Amino acid sequence: MSDPRHNAKPTLEELLHLKRAERPNADFWAGFERELRQKQLTALVEKRRWWHGLPVLSRRRLYLPVGATAVVAFALVAVRFNTPGHIAQAVNTAPRIEANDPAVEVLPITVVSYPRNQGRYEEPVAAESARPVVVARIEPLASAPVREEISPSARSIAANLARLEQAEPELVQAVMGNRLSAARVQTASLHDEREVEESADSTPRYRLIARYAERALSPQPAAPVREHVARRLGNDLVDDVSRIGVGGNRVSLRF
Amino acid sequence: MNLTRVFTKTAISTPERQQEADADLVIVRQVQAGDVAAFDKLILKYRERLFGVVYNLTANREDASDLTQDSFIKAFQAINRFQGNCSFFTWLYKIAVNTALSHLRKNRMRSFFSLEKLNEEGPGAEVIEKLTDRNGADRDAYLRELQEKLNEAMQKLSIPHRTVITLFEIDGLSHSEIAEIMGCSEGTVRSRLHYAKQVLQGELSKYIRS
Repeated sequence: MSDPRHNAKPTLEELLHLKRAERPNADFWAGFERELRQKQLTALVEKRRWWHGLPVLSRRRLYLPVGATAVVAFALVAVRFNTPGHIAQAVNTAPRIEANDPAVEVLPITVVSYPRNQGRYEEPVAAESARPVVVARIEPLASAPVREEISPSARSIAANLARLEQAEPELVQAVMGNRLSAARVQTASLHDEREVEESADSTPRYRLIARYAERALSPQPAAPVREHVARRLGNDLVDDVSRIGVGGNRVSLRF
Repeated sequence: MNLTRVFTKTAISTPERQQEADADLVIVRQVQAGDVAAFDKLILKYRERLFGVVYNLTANREDASDLTQDSFIKAFQAINRFQGNCSFFTWLYKIAVNTALSHLRKNRMRSFFSLEKLNEEGPGAEVIEKLTDRNGADRDAYLRELQEKLNEAMQKLSIPHRTVITLFEIDGLSHSEIAEIMGCSEGTVRSRLHYAKQVLQGELSKYIRS
């Protein structure tokens, strides 16, 4: 026989169904609705944060424009930060021009304008412009240091000349002669004028340097050289003409 | 026997749920079109069931009330993202369950019960009647004791097991619906359900029929 006390007990499922009966009363729901309405209004009024719009962006398929903008921005930033330092930090050594400098001269300019006719060329129209153009005489800054450098070859020449001067001073004197003025002109671009003059007067090797320099920079080639070149060119021309032969309808060329 | 019952419940519930889902979708489209007041219909329809789920998970009526409200607010704010891939009911349950689980994880150490009185006129009235018939005189005391012991046993379950047993036995959802809400497979749901019942049987052996 089954135990009546045992049969009186509920099953687990029945007991769990008892939980369905645990429900609040009507008063609770009135308060629940009031609170929910309040929260709903707060949620409606509450300012939306910027990141709440991100899912909308992704839905609108804005991947490409956003991605392209990001790439362009990255490229700009990369170029900006990878610029070589010597370019960014270069010192402007050009002479300064002041607008109110007395050396500044104002000249009128002519502006040439080309009329835009479709496919037809017309002569440009010149018009006198009222706009002045600033033209300046550029002078080096007084404070800029002059670079004084003597090349190694000049030093070696000077040393050889000194040795020659010790061995044969008369020859050196005869060769150098009155060439010191030319030496002053040729070396003026490299040395300060006064220093060159002093050094040329004081040391004979600078006189020899000046002589070589004058010979090298002379615009007129020496007469024998000119004759030699003319003779060579003439021979070549005669030789070229003699290689060409014309006979009847033929032109022959000898090599 | 249990399997037969499960299959029967799933077979019966599917067409009902489909009708429900279609009706809900119409209301959801209204809300998405800008008719904010239409959302009240959904609140009225689901507030008790949603409260029941959250209450059975937390075993605290105040927490359950707040979490249910929060779930409705979240659903309202995210309703434009609802595309109808699942039923609104499942989507809403998912929000509520996740909200409750998040609350439980945050307040793991804090657990105190504030139980609702048994409503003898609502759902579960049949069970109460059956139990009181058998225990005549001290029925209120007996029901109260059963309620407390059941809640204690439920709180001994882990959160996933408690969720499964709540959704299946108390709210009557199918395995597939629970799987969708919890984001796991039906097999996992079944195994969790089996284990949870074993634990409850062991805890309540003095009060239930084996």
